[in-house]
Amino acid sequence: MNVDIQSLGTFNQLAHEGAQQATQSLAQMTGIDAVVDVTKITLLDRADVGEGLTGSEFVGVQFGFEGALEGETVLVFDTESADTIADSLMPGASDDPAMAQSSVTEIGNIMMSGFIDGWADYLDSTIDHSPPEYIEKSGKDVLPEAPESDEHQQVFVFKSEIEWVGESVNFYIYMLPEYEPLAEMMMEHGDPEADAIPIDKLQTFNEMTTNGTQQAAGNVEMMTGIPTDAEVTEISFAPIEDVPKQIGTDTYVGTVVEFTGVPSGYLMVLFDEVSAVNVAEAMMPVETDGDSVTDQHKAAIEELGNIMTSGFVDGWANVLQTSVDHTPPRLVHDMGRSIVDPLAAQVGQHQEHAFIINSTMRTDDVEFNAEIHALPNEKELREALEDLDVERADETEADVEQIFE
Amino acid sequence: MPDVLIADDSEFMRNLLREILEEDHTIVGEVENGVEAVEVYKEETPDLVMMDIVMPIRDGIEATDEIKSSNPDANVIMCTSVGQEEKMKEAVKAGADGYITKPFQKPSVIEAIEDVVPT
Amino acid sequence: MKVYDGSQTESAQQSQPERIKVGIAEYRVATDSAVLTTSGLGSCIGVGIYDEASGVAGLVHVMLPTAEDVEGGNRAKFADTGVAALVEALEAEGASRDGMRAKIAGGSDMLDFSENGPSIGSRNADQVRETLTAFDIPLLGEDVGGDHGRSLRLEADTGDFVVKSANTESTTL
Repeated sequence: MNVDIQSLGTFNQLAHEGAQQATQSLAQMTGIDAVVDVTKITLLDRADVGEGLTGSEFVGVQFGFEGALEGETVLVFDTESADTIADSLMPGASDDPAMAQSSVTEIGNIMMSGFIDGWADYLDSTIDHSPPEYIEKSGKDVLPEAPESDEHQQVFVFKSEIEWVGESVNFYIYMLPEYEPLAEMMMEHGDPEADAIPIDKLQTFNEMTTNGTQQAAGNVEMMTGIPTDAEVTEISFAPIEDVPKQIGTDTYVGTVVEFTGVPSGYLMVLFDEVSAVNVAEAMMPVETDGDSVTDQHKAAIEELGNIMTSGFVDGWANVLQTSVDHTPPRLVHDMGRSIVDPLAAQVGQHQEHAFIINSTMRTDDVEFNAEIHALPNEKELREALEDLDVERADETEADVEQIFE
Repeated sequence: MPDVLIADDSEFMRNLLREILEEDHTIVGEVENGVEAVEVYKEETPDLVMMDIVMPIRDGIEATDEIKSSNPDANVIMCTSVGQEEKMKEAVKAGADGYITKPFQKPSVIEAIEDVVPT
Repeated sequence: MKVYDGSQTESAQQSQPERIKVGIAEYRVATDSAVLTTSGLGSCIGVGIYDEASGVAGLVHVMLPTAEDVEGGNRAKFADTGVAALVEALEAEGASRDGMRAKIAGGSDMLDFSENGPSIGSRNADQVRETLTAFDIPLLGEDVGGDHGRSLRLEADTGDFVVKSANTESTTL
């Protein structure tokens, strides 16, 4: 099944406008000044949905919906924001749990109606939703179960991040549609003449990339002795100007390469500063003084980034039976968003939207987080997917012995 | 002791290889790109070149091709993070005698070298 | 009797002006001594334009040199149309073209992988300067190029333009 890029763009726009509608309702009712920061469509393993919420307590207002689209949607606040919202609607409400719950549920009801109505209008159809359900849960448990499907282990998730101006709190809208009705609708609203992405192959590509992330995590473990797990691998789709927002405003240390071939694009391996120091020292025989990032740390990170990059892209090349070359790594130490910004601009010279491949890895032993982000050029990604033989999906590793007989 | 030339753009990796090799080998040079690798090879004609693939200016496969063309008896082991089958085939075509993928452990480096240049 | 101690006076003077965040490929205009901010400028450019007489100021965060290169409806994404859109919005709020002054930052060459020709950052900077010249708006200060990212803020009532990098102290243009 193929979905054209334009209709993915339209769906992303719909979700974005829906989130804006919802945010305006919130602003009108509470006086809270909020803006929609990012809206993206993500394809990921159903078990990984909401992994980014780990470690915090949330309040959610959840609905089921059916009609032209089916599935679940939820508005997620952190607990503190929920109190503020309740109080701004009715002063003192947060002191009375029943009142707080009712206020938040009502806000959620109004916001999410705005969100869903936009979809129904665009589709010239109706989407009914169930009464709102109030929930308080930890981390990703606040999200509804991703829809089950015998055929698809991966799901599409529409996620909007809403930023509360002047506060460091965010809230989120997640929509988890059933695969089949969504796929049908994307087909119906697509342009058969336009450049299309085979969705099923995109899933296979995602699985290959998951293998690549595991390979990269294995490489980290081998070089540092730190047991490292690949966490999440996902492909997101967003307007090019939203690409830099995928990465935080903190300072990162890492490497960037341009890769050429099918696919082509840019690949970043990024560590926050604390992780960079930890991982570099695990690679070096002696510990250095202090906790700032030195040239020695950077040299180690440069080589680690190089090896992680290869671990990540080699699987693509081997499955596609082609070669993907990359430039020597360029070391970066800068604000995360300004690292991505020139890469998004370079890709943005030829396309309005972009696919972004995001992977994270983590370890329990020391504070250590690594992120890999790939920004492929759309045309070459499309070619790669066309060439992709789904049967070869697990042949990510080359056999050195056999080739050097 | 066999003479070895190390070609890798990463200082970190050159240090690591030096530590592994210097016990049983004489390091005749450490270079950062394929052009320097060919130059130093021609000056020193070492018994072995440990050659990275992804390097600035000129990559390790091109450099291997030139070294092997000028001296078919040269010994070159690719030592690279690239694990792509097509790249390995290119390396074989250029005349590489061995292929070590990073990250490596010391024993596998020693073993690969013993296969190509027995001490 | 009410006592006015030092700390109270100071905090009264420091009453926080409104902060307006400008995202990538967006522009915003302020009329009342607000502070406009944008962050994560790599090859992108932040263009601040203000008119002291009317107190109207605006900031646009442009991403690519010219709208001719790419299709796409968002004017704020490009240096040429972004500056034009900002100038129009400032005039709509009562600023006069004659009083407008500009300051710019960004346009870094970092991570430019193009083998030949100038980087996107320097093409962005050239296009911004050219468009400002076409509108006859003097460019009073710039912090562009180099190989690092930047964040900035424009103080609407003074026209102070404060630029910060990840690893350096901030400078005021």
